[in-house]
Amino acid sequence: MPKCTIDGKEIEVAPGTSVIQAAEQAGVRVPRFCYHDDLPVDGNCRMCMVEIEKFPKLQIACGTTVSEGMVVRTQVTSEKAKVAQRDTLEFLLVNHPIDCPVCDQAGECYLQDQYMENGLHDSRTVLEDKIQKRKVVDLGPIMLDAERCVVCSRCIRYEREVTKTNLLEFVNRGGSTQISTYNGGPITHEYAGNLADVCPVGALLSSDFRFKMRVWFLKETDSVCPGCSTGCNITIDHRDCEAYRFRPRRNVEVNKSWLCDPGRRLYQTIAADRVTTPHRKGGAVAAPSVLLDEVVAKLRAAGQSSAFLASPRASNEDAFTFKKLAEGLGGRLDFRVGNPQDKVKVRKDQILQREDRHANTQGLLDLGLGVTGVETLLNDCKAGKVEALFLQDGAMLEDPGVLDAAQHVAYVVALATHQGPHLAAAHAVIPAAMWAETDGTFTNYDQRVQRFKRAFDAPGDAKPGWEVALDLLARLGKPMNAATAGDVFVLIAAETKAYADLTHRSLGSLGRAVGDPAKTPATA
Amino acid sequence: MASRIIAVNRDTHPGIFPIVYGMWLTLRNMFETLFVKGRSATIEYPEKKRNISGRYRGIHLLTAREDGTPKCVACYMCATVCPAECIYIESGERPEKKIEKYPTRFEIDLLRCVYCGFCVDACPEEAILMSRENDLVGTSRAELIMDRDQLMNRGKLAEVGRGYHPTDHDVRRPVRIAALERLKSEHGIVPGMPKRS
Amino acid sequence: MPSMPALERDLALEKPAYRILAEKFGEKVLRVTNYRGDLAITVDCSAWREAARTLRDHPELDYKLFLDLCGVDYLSDESRPLRFEVALHLYSVTHKHHIRLKTGLDEKNPVCDTLVDVYKGANWFEREAFDLYGLVFTGHPNLTRILTHDDFVGHPMRKDFATGKRFVNKKSKPWLLTVPKGSEHLVLNIGPSHPAMHGCFRIQALLDGEIIKDCEAEIGYLHRNFEKMAEERTYWQIIPYTDRLNYCSAFINGHGWALAVEKLLGIQSPPRAEAIRVILSELSRIMDHFVCITANVVDLGAITPFFVVFRAREEIYDLLDSVCGARLTVSYVRIGGVAQDVPDDFDARCRKTMGWIREVTEQMDKLLTRNIIFANRFKDVGVFSKDDALSYGWVGPCLRGSGIGYDVRKDHPYSGYDQYDFDVPVGTVGDCYDRYLVRVEEIKQSVRIIDQALSRLPKGHFITEDRKVALPPKSEVYSDIESLMNHFKLVYDGIVAAPGEIYGYVEGANGELGYYIVSDGKKHPARVKVRPPCFNIYQAYPQMIKGKLIADAVAIIGGLNVVAGELDR
Repeated sequence: MPKCTIDGKEIEVAPGTSVIQAAEQAGVRVPRFCYHDDLPVDGNCRMCMVEIEKFPKLQIACGTTVSEGMVVRTQVTSEKAKVAQRDTLEFLLVNHPIDCPVCDQAGECYLQDQYMENGLHDSRTVLEDKIQKRKVVDLGPIMLDAERCVVCSRCIRYEREVTKTNLLEFVNRGGSTQISTYNGGPITHEYAGNLADVCPVGALLSSDFRFKMRVWFLKETDSVCPGCSTGCNITIDHRDCEAYRFRPRRNVEVNKSWLCDPGRRLYQTIAADRVTTPHRKGGAVAAPSVLLDEVVAKLRAAGQSSAFLASPRASNEDAFTFKKLAEGLGGRLDFRVGNPQDKVKVRKDQILQREDRHANTQGLLDLGLGVTGVETLLNDCKAGKVEALFLQDGAMLEDPGVLDAAQHVAYVVALATHQGPHLAAAHAVIPAAMWAETDGTFTNYDQRVQRFKRAFDAPGDAKPGWEVALDLLARLGKPMNAATAGDVFVLIAAETKAYADLTHRSLGSLGRAVGDPAKTPATA
Repeated sequence: MASRIIAVNRDTHPGIFPIVYGMWLTLRNMFETLFVKGRSATIEYPEKKRNISGRYRGIHLLTAREDGTPKCVACYMCATVCPAECIYIESGERPEKKIEKYPTRFEIDLLRCVYCGFCVDACPEEAILMSRENDLVGTSRAELIMDRDQLMNRGKLAEVGRGYHPTDHDVRRPVRIAALERLKSEHGIVPGMPKRS
Repeated sequence: MPSMPALERDLALEKPAYRILAEKFGEKVLRVTNYRGDLAITVDCSAWREAARTLRDHPELDYKLFLDLCGVDYLSDESRPLRFEVALHLYSVTHKHHIRLKTGLDEKNPVCDTLVDVYKGANWFEREAFDLYGLVFTGHPNLTRILTHDDFVGHPMRKDFATGKRFVNKKSKPWLLTVPKGSEHLVLNIGPSHPAMHGCFRIQALLDGEIIKDCEAEIGYLHRNFEKMAEERTYWQIIPYTDRLNYCSAFINGHGWALAVEKLLGIQSPPRAEAIRVILSELSRIMDHFVCITANVVDLGAITPFFVVFRAREEIYDLLDSVCGARLTVSYVRIGGVAQDVPDDFDARCRKTMGWIREVTEQMDKLLTRNIIFANRFKDVGVFSKDDALSYGWVGPCLRGSGIGYDVRKDHPYSGYDQYDFDVPVGTVGDCYDRYLVRVEEIKQSVRIIDQALSRLPKGHFITEDRKVALPPKSEVYSDIESLMNHFKLVYDGIVAAPGEIYGYVEGANGELGYYIVSDGKKHPARVKVRPPCFNIYQAYPQMIKGKLIADAVAIIGGLNVVAGELDR
């Protein structure tokens, strides 16, 4: 383990660590454009210049590996490094357009941030001298503005190394260098959104997010993508109870810095067509407590001939309380509609997505919800052996098999997030919060338990599934000792061997893998 | 600098002279106001208006380009800086590639506004200015939320005049001056507001 | 020895306050800092009252002037074991030194000793800390809400208070006093809306004939929690809010705020900006004194002086309009300078205005000072002793009226006040007449200061060139990307101050106006506390009028110049 000194602070780093990473560990962020944690080092932007003792000239921090006894002085302590970085920045700005007012990157732009940190120089160029390049080039999910580009090649390396599609390349030379797709064609793969994220400036921007909101208004909440069993770590950017976009949150074990486009688009589902009030069949609105009392009465009457169908989209907290509810009534319980169980680990592509489009199949398996098999349960419904059916997710009624079974049951209760004609089959609909509106955990394909946090409140009377289940249990006279999702998780940990000793807090921001790591390797 | 602590003089021998003086002063002021021109402190409002300064922070206005479209590019700087949070903007796409963006909605709640002028300070496009108009009258709250078109077509502006606006003051930095002089000598251009096609 | 960096420790050891407290309380002195020259000592909660008493009574310290007491919530600061802190600001008139004494309070049990028996002025401040933070002061005679109403739920300044909540006050508070059973005394409510009340506040008096037997005050009618709003604004955005504190002299509030933030940032404004600030501050002071004096005599039945001086006040307002763009809510100051340079005709207009001020001051003087009716109503009425004035935390003309010559402009010169020649008037008796005479003399001294500042108004920039503080010039924002980025960062990120806390203060029209700012290194201040001069002054009013005639109560209130915007914040 080589030891080095960065700005007078001595630290020990893993062999092979670059100076830029070592500085970050020492708490110094060296400015950069082309360096990206999850892309190969290119060293073309020359922004990360630092002074290293015994080297005659300044070195780029990203391309220099720490060796034993190295003494590094970054812009914090070295005037030389500071001046070099300032000059590099000035060069990068020579042809930069006066675009901040119309550029969506403003607010998360490396140029702005690094100018404010240690640029603060006066401009020596004038507008009339700037080279004009292509602007507002529509590349499908991405908008290209070549004038704003700092030619760092992050996007090109991303295309080459991550998606292996090689759609972007530099054209022209010198000051006129710009990025382009072949013949200006669109970006066609499902990982285009990451291009806007890797671009340190406003050259590549998301078409979807374009002009929707200024980023400095947005609040960030750590979350997990519910799109498939991979469980990519995301940040929800939201303002006034509205989600504006998802961004990948770096987790080397799961998704590195990437997120697929279908996952990104899931923010749109939060605001659309939500169920906000409890209602009965035909749409008659009922007061929440009246309807819940009614549901409890029906379920109690059905007793052992009640059935509970859990959803693999539910969080561990939702599923656990749902299980307790089923156990409290003695009813049957199972989950999964559609995907066979073994899909959970099957890749859909070679990057992130998996065949199982549910976030928490593994979690429900860990909690012991898949016992009898869902087919038996549905067949019992059709055979008239079930008097009351409780669906944890109303969307399950979109499945013809479930709908058919539900039509044979006298009383169907559904927790539902979104409206739709399928809900007409339910006798009671209880509005439910989505994952972004509550705290909780998902367990991904790799048995990694990951935490998501509440970003904002659910609309109307919608409540998180665990809260509804706790309410029903209390009405049944079997209250659980829990008031928050964290409390529920403590109960889960006490009962589930794999999750023993875990708490929401101990999961941290990156989650904890509880399975055997040898059996399930991390993503490529 | 020399500063002293001085005790005030309480020993003033009060009498009735000030009372007589007060009556004389009032009478004098009355006659002066009646007969000496320019002596009157009051004006005949609303026939006459106060002489308000050119920096006055009155009701806002949005400026237009030569083609009549708003100069505003919906950068949200004004909405960001506004301490009263009275500016609401929604943005849309403009066909011109050099401009790209414009406000599809731009509303100022004039009842919420504190007339601090920060929106004018924050605007990077000289798109929002303030007028000298200060008589704000409406019959409902909704009436005093001005939308984009109202803010652009302020008929009264010609009458009341422009108020608070950005000034081109003299703290240009030396390096910048050198660059501009070079531009002038090499290209014969004197830059002002950037020309966008 | 408390832990602190070596340099700071050396500086602190030079201060007798630290040495004496450390000798007396040993381990209980937990921390001492000297950030930006502010001596701040943290003591253990158990030594709180005795430490304050020592600071007051020890002859080498003599911190007799009570300035401010407030709560601070450090909810998200995980380095602190105790969530709350109480900060006490004191001043030693003899040694010309400010000090901050602090103690931490536990989240679950935020209790400490009251200081009411050490400083009389602590009474309302502790009620405020209870009201806004839920801190409990054991031994306090009347620990009730003061700024919010009785139907309010929770403590609004706590960091975890949801700000969207609204609480409607449904029941009025008919009784502030306890009226003895069977009493035949008359209970009289003066205010909240009353011609003799200079703003929206209320006094309930128990009258025996014309004599006030007992009385109690209620405030909070204009409370808008400026301090909470400041926690969600950038340093720049807070400027318009300061205009609404003491709105009779709005510019001085902004001046004080800018100086406090500049102290926090460790920057200086250019000399021209400072001179402009001094001129506008002194004009504001003159206006404030005009309003105070003449509104006071309107209460006594004399309207002429009011109309006479308002002529000059109008001129000042017109001048402010031409410089700042508004008459009352000026919003002219900026961190590091002022918003724009003064207009070209500023000198001429200012001199013309000065002519008006001189003329009406002389007329006012002639109308009032030797007026037999006025003198009889004012002389020996509302006498307030030096000791009481210090203990209540009186400052400004009221403190000087009681004979203590403390003026921030002279004792801690800021904005170049040390370059100007002016005198500080003090009274000898401490009655209404003295307070009046002090104000008249201060108007004359302010005129002297403006004359000097105007004649040597420095050339140069009106705002600092520091790109981390001041917006770049507009012409550059329009034409170069560097300035545009600079502009954007400053607008959406604001000015970012390093973590630390300071107490910045200026001589407001009513006395020392202080801002206690705590920064946690983010773009919004973590805590802003205004030390409002009126709050201390008005607190003493009920005590002053007990046993006096109701007519005297009316004569006294105007001379205290209580401004509700500042009182209630």
